[in-house]
Amino acid sequence: MAEQGTSRRRFLGGAAAAGVGIAAGVGVAAGYGIRSTAEDSTGTTDPYAASGDAADPANAVVPFYGARQAGVTTAQQERLMFAALDVTTTDVEELKRMLGRWAAIAARLTTGKLVSDSPVREEQPPFDTGESMDLGAHSLTITVGFGPSLFDDRFGLSGRMPVELTPFGTIPGDAVMKPAISDGDLCIQACADDPQVVFHAIRNMVRAARGTAVLKWSQLGFGRASATGAGQTTPRNLMGFKDGTNNIHADDVATIDSQVWVDASGGTSAGGDPAAVSWMANGSYLVARKIRMEIESWDTDPLTDQERIFARNKVTGAPMTGGDEFTPVDYSQQNTAGEPVVDMNAHIRLAAPEQNNGIKMLRRGYNYTDGQDPDTGKLAAGLFFVAFQRDPQAQFKVIQTRLGKSDLLNEYIAHIGGGLWACPPGVSGPGDWFGKSLFT
Amino acid sequence: MATLKSRYWPAIVLTTGAIALAGCSSSTTDTTASSSAPASAASAAASGSAAAGGDGEVTVTVTEADGCVASPDTVPAGQVTFLITNVDALSVTEVELVSDQRIVGERENLAPGFDSTFSARLDGGAYEVFCPGAASERQPFTVTGEAAAQSADLTALLDQATVDYATYVDDQISFLIAPVEELAAAIKAGDLAAAQAAYIKARPFYERIEPVAESFPDLDPAIDLRVGDVEAGTTWTGFHPIEQGLYEKQSTEGLAPLADQLIVDIQSLQAEAGKLAEATNAGSEGGYQAFEIANGSATLLDEVLASKITGEEEAYSKIDLLDFEANVEGSLQAFATLKPALDQIDPTLVPQIAAAFDALTATLDKYRDPNSASGWVSYDQLTEADKKTLTDALLVVQEPLSAISAKITN
Repeated sequence: MAEQGTSRRRFLGGAAAAGVGIAAGVGVAAGYGIRSTAEDSTGTTDPYAASGDAADPANAVVPFYGARQAGVTTAQQERLMFAALDVTTTDVEELKRMLGRWAAIAARLTTGKLVSDSPVREEQPPFDTGESMDLGAHSLTITVGFGPSLFDDRFGLSGRMPVELTPFGTIPGDAVMKPAISDGDLCIQACADDPQVVFHAIRNMVRAARGTAVLKWSQLGFGRASATGAGQTTPRNLMGFKDGTNNIHADDVATIDSQVWVDASGGTSAGGDPAAVSWMANGSYLVARKIRMEIESWDTDPLTDQERIFARNKVTGAPMTGGDEFTPVDYSQQNTAGEPVVDMNAHIRLAAPEQNNGIKMLRRGYNYTDGQDPDTGKLAAGLFFVAFQRDPQAQFKVIQTRLGKSDLLNEYIAHIGGGLWACPPGVSGPGDWFGKSLFT
Repeated sequence: MATLKSRYWPAIVLTTGAIALAGCSSSTTDTTASSSAPASAASAAASGSAAAGGDGEVTVTVTEADGCVASPDTVPAGQVTFLITNVDALSVTEVELVSDQRIVGERENLAPGFDSTFSARLDGGAYEVFCPGAASERQPFTVTGEAAAQSADLTALLDQATVDYATYVDDQISFLIAPVEELAAAIKAGDLAAAQAAYIKARPFYERIEPVAESFPDLDPAIDLRVGDVEAGTTWTGFHPIEQGLYEKQSTEGLAPLADQLIVDIQSLQAEAGKLAEATNAGSEGGYQAFEIANGSATLLDEVLASKITGEEEAYSKIDLLDFEANVEGSLQAFATLKPALDQIDPTLVPQIAAAFDALTATLDKYRDPNSASGWVSYDQLTEADKKTLTDALLVVQEPLSAISAKITN
């Protein structure tokens, strides 16, 4: 990679600053950080639960049905599997039916059930692949999104794409984005506190899609790299720094409503017809970025330089301008030489809402590793950045453009994949499905 | 490739029970799919009114609380259309009409919020509406009176499938003999080019019927084992040590005994398959069974995914795409023998699988290379994207194909 001094990419580490707090469930919609224990509506014991103990965290359930999708403001789970798919059918009815199957599967898996309870015939492949048996739901959430490419002329949706979903084009620092691990007509984000549970969810949904859509690329995230509230401690990214200290937290309803969820209008219609985009009311836009870390180089960077880049103390997370982790950063503070204590191109300065007209995003990233890079022998690891917002053109794109140009961290990272998806509103109940109001 | 399993084709242990058919049966069925969209609803209605009898219409309502409820639950014999509404049953993906353990009509891929339909011509008798995964899975359903019109008997169609398939297998093995003999002759003459050409000629005939060969636990390892699968203390024989000589060592030296043994082993295969065909044609025990043909058809695609798309099968000659095409062709032919019977059980299924096969074949055809000895792009020239394209096309066939065995078994 060519050296460009500070002109490289970087994390959106400080991008979202918001109220810090003890998040609790906010009852507006399902999936709002509420984790309850498994309930079986029939009152019978669920044979696939991890244990008979309803208080067992393995049996924790995040409600699937609601006005807004779960997996956005839900207290962030420990594991992720993310999948991007391309639709192969040209029949919109098949696509709709698949989204209907997905909703049914998601409703069951998120309560710890299998795809079907039916005992199968011996001659028939089982309805469910089975590896989540005895595991419990582990707070599984399944969040589905529609990429810009879905709104071409295949399914009659070309007039229904909100302006907010416009592809980004080239953002500074996107030079090595790989098409094979970027974009896709559809995405599924599966999050839970157990890695096998998230894998099982993606596997069975991809299976249900067979013949209608194909897996384009996928990513496993092994560890939570953001805090979204509920008293979660701030986790560390693979550079060893606390990440997401100033993330939006679930109890900050005002910020969430103004920055994360699309309002009742559904957003902006290119053709000027508001009804064309009303389907996105209560939706949110998911931006994913696979950010490779130059791990070996970072490991040889002196501590003072590492802390200069983030402008935070590596151990405590406190800003270089003093205080503790949650002390506001004093961007005007100067040292005795009259230089800013927080470098003008430090990660948190470029990304901070105070420096970006108050722009915030809800970050929900995961640390990832793909093992070893077969070409170079280096560790293949980094951050699978995920952020939710109401208008990615005015949020992610603006901040990433600044970061891509100037962030000190760019020397140690590279954005190599990802995409933009519109996550429609929540599924209201059985018989409703992902994006039904878009297709009807 | 040879594996140590013979998982789908236990020709040795087959008995009669699997395909015991009862007389009570349906005849033609006709299925259309629809969702709540007006256009599809119209086509469903059209299909209903176009039915010969036009008399029977049954609403099947599927709910989480009550399972499948058919209304009315008694209809006169004749053409009957089932209008299925999945209201909110999350785990119910299909509705079947079952007569004496046999599916006589069905509709798959149900989802809450979507409507579907199928129709069947029904004889008088006792049936069940079966919804796997529903709160109440089975509901009795009665057809009064006699059959309106009898069409081809399902049992006869399945029997014919086994006869057709037996012929196909015998043909492929007999076609295999000649190029293998050419291979031996070229090796003995020290003619490397001719030996390579004969090797390429022979492989597809074997790959098309590989699941049958795998049902003979000694023969397939003798014929088609890869070097990594050879048990310590045994000799590596068959196609692949010859392939290694011809392509890696670029020599015919020392291969003559292997070629002679290969002829003997394939003659044994021919004899064994001949016994299967004989039993099949006589309708006696020990012949091919329809569900085995279905499983064999699916197994051939497993073979492609396991060893062809990975380039492990033809490690030296790189003609994996030739084997790929042969496996697909064998799978398609096996499926084709079952089509008439499957058409009666679920008429949506055959066009769906056939279209997926067509798409797979069209994708594969892009990799034909007239300048290559095998007629196909060499495996080492495939990109990762090529392999993904081929895999994706294959998976679309594999999933529905894996389900047909159960439909003709019970």
